[in-house]
Amino acid sequence: MNTAFDGYHPAVNIMFFAGAIAMGMFFTHPVFLCVSAAASALYYLLLTHKSGMGFLFGMLLTALCVSFINPFLNTTGDTVLFTYLNARPFTLEALLYGFATGGMFFSMLMWFASFNIIMTSEKFIFIFGALAPALSLMLTMILRLVPSFKRKARSIAAARKCIGKAPKGDTKKDALENSMSILSVLTSWALENAVITADSMKSRGYGSAKRSCFAQYKLKKQDITAIIIMLAATALIASGGAVGGVGYAAFLLLPSIIHVKEELTWLILKSRI
Amino acid sequence: MADFKIENLSFEYPATGKKALDNVNLSIKQGEYIVVCGKSGSGKTTLLRHLKSVLTPHGNVGGEILLDGRPLKEVSLREQSSKIGYVMQNPDNQIVTDKVWHELAFGLESLGCDKRTMRLRVAEMASYFGIQSWFHSDVSSLSGGQKQLLNLASIMAMQPTVIILDEPTSQLDPIAAMDFLSTVRKINLELGTTIIISEHRLEEVFPSADRVIIMENGRVAADESPRTIGNTLMKQNSDMLASLPSPMKIYYAVNSAQSCPLTVREGRSWLSNELDSVKQNQLPLENEYEEPISPAIELKEVWFRYDKSSPDVLKGACLKIEKNTLHAILGGNGMGKSTMLKTICNIEKPYRGDVFIEGKKLSKYKTSELFKGCLAMLPQDPQSLFVKKTVEEDLLEMLDGKDASAIEKTAEICEVTHLLKSHPYDLSGGEQQRAALAKVLLCEPKYLLLDEPTKGIDSFFKLKLAQILKHLCENGVTVIMVSHDVEFCAMYADYISMFFDGSIITTNTPNRFFAQNSFYTTAANRMSRHIFENAVTNEDVIKLCKINK
Repeated sequence: MNTAFDGYHPAVNIMFFAGAIAMGMFFTHPVFLCVSAAASALYYLLLTHKSGMGFLFGMLLTALCVSFINPFLNTTGDTVLFTYLNARPFTLEALLYGFATGGMFFSMLMWFASFNIIMTSEKFIFIFGALAPALSLMLTMILRLVPSFKRKARSIAAARKCIGKAPKGDTKKDALENSMSILSVLTSWALENAVITADSMKSRGYGSAKRSCFAQYKLKKQDITAIIIMLAATALIASGGAVGGVGYAAFLLLPSIIHVKEELTWLILKSRI
Repeated sequence: MADFKIENLSFEYPATGKKALDNVNLSIKQGEYIVVCGKSGSGKTTLLRHLKSVLTPHGNVGGEILLDGRPLKEVSLREQSSKIGYVMQNPDNQIVTDKVWHELAFGLESLGCDKRTMRLRVAEMASYFGIQSWFHSDVSSLSGGQKQLLNLASIMAMQPTVIILDEPTSQLDPIAAMDFLSTVRKINLELGTTIIISEHRLEEVFPSADRVIIMENGRVAADESPRTIGNTLMKQNSDMLASLPSPMKIYYAVNSAQSCPLTVREGRSWLSNELDSVKQNQLPLENEYEEPISPAIELKEVWFRYDKSSPDVLKGACLKIEKNTLHAILGGNGMGKSTMLKTICNIEKPYRGDVFIEGKKLSKYKTSELFKGCLAMLPQDPQSLFVKKTVEEDLLEMLDGKDASAIEKTAEICEVTHLLKSHPYDLSGGEQQRAALAKVLLCEPKYLLLDEPTKGIDSFFKLKLAQILKHLCENGVTVIMVSHDVEFCAMYADYISMFFDGSIITTNTPNRFFAQNSFYTTAANRMSRHIFENAVTNEDVIKLCKINK
């Protein structure tokens, strides 16, 4: 995957998402909510193209459900739209509040979905590595261990089936016993592997000096520009009012703008050929 | 510089009372390529691990190891880490991180190398080893060969002066192994790095070796150049003769006055010089292969893929296996041979076509019926068969109330009696293979499926394995094995099939099968095909040589 914003420094990525998600949760002004929902949906669609449509509409529906359920739970408000069940009121205020919650819910989900696509484990570990090298190494090793654990469990189960040791399927006890023996051997397998991995780490000098960190990413000019834009937009937001709204939109639309700009550049480059 | 000097080194594991190393004296000079060989359990790994302090096992040590005249113990961890590289057997467990680039940088990170140097070194290594195209990959997506290459590269990034390799190719298929060993050779030639390697595949390492050290019961039995080592072994009447490369084995069986050939190329010219006139250039041919009329196992146009959207692995594979024979299936790596075995076992279900066992559709069998005394499979990774704390318990699990004496008998056949009390994970690769075989044999299957049974085992147990399989075939068992081991199949299989591109291309008797191939054939055949027409095994060539002399 190589979309435009993805190519920026992980620090820029995480700054943006942290900002977008934090502000999205704090600002409940309807205009701000609309901007956030629209920007998050736009960026998610840019990242996923058509394949993200299903998820997007699913989430939109869920958000609408959330909005309409709210007035049933919350009855405060002056403008009663209708009453039901022994004069329990359904108020406009509660409905509007529901829309606000739903909108926030929707935009959060969209931001997190994009976050998942952009922030790969590698970038995450890079950010962490700068803060806590030992923790980040541990994280890397766990990331490697979990899938290999799964693979091993599958291969043991298959191997056992081939010598007639699969659970017969008749009783729960049988199945449980079988899984227990697989689990117990997986534990010893993991420990055994850990010994070899430890040997390999020691033999490559682990613990012989203060660890340094291989920097796969470098802060480039584009990253600094992006940071400046984000800071400027934040300043605008802080000043409040209509200017704040513009600042908010500028902040949230940044990855989409970068994305579209790059697409356009390619289009122009191609048309020149 | 890195000159090793080992003086009177003895070592005893705690509470065994047996010396794992017994008065070993060696000196190794910078830039040498040294092969350490010997039966499994002869002390190769123990010796190699003594050459690096952090890996030295605990126990009673006598004697001394000097690195450049300094006792090894006094050389700092940091210096040893970068100077002495160590590659272990299992490609998987040595890898620490989850990304290729990170693994390459790991050693340098540990040494606290600065960012610039690290970038340069990692870039250098990635280019030297041809890793660029998978530099950003997940480690889990690599093949075994790539993983082992990565292990080597990540050690080379620390610029060691000596690399120690402990059976690095035992888990690899022949092509990946050859690739790996030629990289090791390249490092030795181009960088002058000292190589100390223990290996089973002597064909590949003998031509590059300066010296061969043969270990026997913890002692150095021979320490000579590869060209003369055979003489010493002949004098000692050593078991190691059986594991020499084919050209050497033939040479020593024929009693020639010329010098010993090491490679197929040298073997060819040796053979041409040896025989002035050829009276007989072929052996009586075996009968032409005929398809069995009522096959024990039959695959009818089997199609299989792992996922709806993934490519086909089996593309209309047809195969008929005759009863009571050893049928070998050869073919490239990752082509789907193992998958075919899995479809016979009903682990993977074909989406088209059927598997028949004794004429009955596989889907008509109940699972209990199928695996009780009918089918059994030894998987590629024998380790996955063990679930208990000792080998004995693991074997006991198979009995289901049957007579316990079966265990003793099977253990003896597979030569694991002395290992019964050990934890299965403490065994070496070859020993695990044997213990797993014992476990599978206890199922008393009528149809035994073996997925690369010769992987990681030494030539001595290969002979034994062949006997076991032969014995089984004579007693009403049908054996199907998937293998890369061309020499083994040529010697012992009754029929050989070639698997390619999702189906069986051809099936024939070993003699006819290999005589018609020019690449995919035994070393003995490649060495003699310019003179003899159908000599496939070493014995064939030796026989013809003796006739013509």
